[in-house]
Amino acid sequence: MVSDRLKKIILNELKLDSFEFQDETTANQVPGWDSFNHINVIMAVEKDYNIHFKGIEVLKVKNMGELQKLVDSKLQN
Amino acid sequence: MLSFIDLNRFMQYIDFSKVQQLFLYDPSDQLYFSTSFFLFFFFALLLFYRIFSKSKNLKIYTIIFFSLFFYYKNSGYFFLLLFASTFINFYFGSWIYKAKTGGMKKLLFISVLVIDLGLLIYFKYTNFFIQIINGFTSGNIQLLNLLLPVGISFYTFKAMSYVIEIFIETMEPTNNLRDFVLYMYFFPNILAGPIDRAVAFLPQIEGEMMPSKEDMGRAVFLIMSGLFKKAVIADYIGLNFVDRVFQVPLRFTGVENLLASYAYTIQIYCDFSGYTDMALGIASLLGFKLMDNFNIPFLATSIADYWRRWHISLSTWLLDYLFKPMQMSFRRMRIYGSALAIFITFLLVGFWHGASWTFVVFGLFHSTYLAVSLLTQKFRKAFWDKLHLTGTKTLKVFQILITFHLVLITAIIFRSDSLATAQNVFHQIFKYFHGAVFFQWITGYTQVFVFILIGYVLHFIPKSVDNKVKNIITASPVYVQALLLALMILVVVQVESAQLQPVIYFNF
Repeated sequence: MVSDRLKKIILNELKLDSFEFQDETTANQVPGWDSFNHINVIMAVEKDYNIHFKGIEVLKVKNMGELQKLVDSKLQN
Repeated sequence: MLSFIDLNRFMQYIDFSKVQQLFLYDPSDQLYFSTSFFLFFFFALLLFYRIFSKSKNLKIYTIIFFSLFFYYKNSGYFFLLLFASTFINFYFGSWIYKAKTGGMKKLLFISVLVIDLGLLIYFKYTNFFIQIINGFTSGNIQLLNLLLPVGISFYTFKAMSYVIEIFIETMEPTNNLRDFVLYMYFFPNILAGPIDRAVAFLPQIEGEMMPSKEDMGRAVFLIMSGLFKKAVIADYIGLNFVDRVFQVPLRFTGVENLLASYAYTIQIYCDFSGYTDMALGIASLLGFKLMDNFNIPFLATSIADYWRRWHISLSTWLLDYLFKPMQMSFRRMRIYGSALAIFITFLLVGFWHGASWTFVVFGLFHSTYLAVSLLTQKFRKAFWDKLHLTGTKTLKVFQILITFHLVLITAIIFRSDSLATAQNVFHQIFKYFHGAVFFQWITGYTQVFVFILIGYVLHFIPKSVDNKVKNIITASPVYVQALLLALMILVVVQVESAQLQPVIYFNF
């Protein structure tokens, strides 16, 4: 389940009004989420939740569901 | 009726030592796709493939055996190095996957990368570095007597894609050494790619490994197209014009140097994409789908777009495994971090091609193009918006022409045997043009001119037309397909000079 907060951060960063995010949604399915905006999105997520990702952790993330899991794991610590 | 006496006499005419020669490694007579020897052996392979069609295991071993022989014919005892690399990467892959701690995983991963890259750097770049050191210290360190193992740049990257994906947990290792050996040795792409990823290739071994009707039609189309592009167009243009000019640019006018540059640009496309087509076609006949390497590269509207269309397997490899991690590490630097990451990545693209300053400078040009392009993207967009040109066909044509010529500049550097030679080419073009010579050139080099045009036309043929031709071939009966193939081989034999031109990318 992708939280509303995470969805909001991404929509805001990509300047989208709305998008139906599923667990299986991948970056290239979302308009504007290219390899350059990708780091902006990641940084926006880090800033909002006040967490820090390790490069390799982000590389492993395949879709929205996994991104959410990664965020959750960071919040638990 | 042949009697035994006749047979005996006949046998005396066969020089068996010559036959034996065929099976031994001869550095001056390597085994390329467009040789008659390869043809004979490939038919033998297909025959065994058919005979063993019920046993996947036998089919796999047939390909492995054939691949081993193919590699040996091309690179002699270096097949042992390939075997060592295969072994090492297979076991490290397994150990990385099974490692209990993150620390152990990382240690194993770094170790195997050091081994893989270490071998590559040792064979490819040691003498280059020695020369640099000698230059700096006015020293005289002895250069090593090193031969470059054929395909090492390609199979090292194949192996690395395997261990990297296991490490970042996007793929599980295979338990079957046999399958991994097939992946590493696979003769269609061992010499010059495409650099197929383990994650895309290994699952295909689980599949049918038998070509469908479409696969066969596609194979015939690709092999014919590849042979024509490589052996007819590329080799001819190179041998009869480009090589001559680039050998002594100062002996030719600027217009001839420029024409040679245009010629070389299409030559390397036809050479490399021709080889790739043959590789894809041959793999198709064995029931394997390899990734494509080209997508009408000269239609690119930017250098970034160009690299999405040229040597796709290499650029995506470097983008996924080098650029993205670097970009992520540099993310605090935002756009400057991305620019730095792209700059480093493409510098390495250049260097990957070989241990020469021309390749380094080639990479430098592309990395500069890309970094500058990224940093100025906003300004350029605003500029075109202001002129109301955004999204127009005019702008697109302009961008295509600019991109093509930016590539042309790098092609000149790439082709030159030294930076001085490249300098001479540019010098002639800008200081000694003599445009009128063009008309003399057309009459003197008519066939070359025609072939250059044919090359460019072939390049620009849209994929939809390709598909139509493919479908026609697929729908034709098998004997027609065989006939077409035989016809093309005949054409190639006619056009081919006495000396076979090795694929330019074999040197990498």
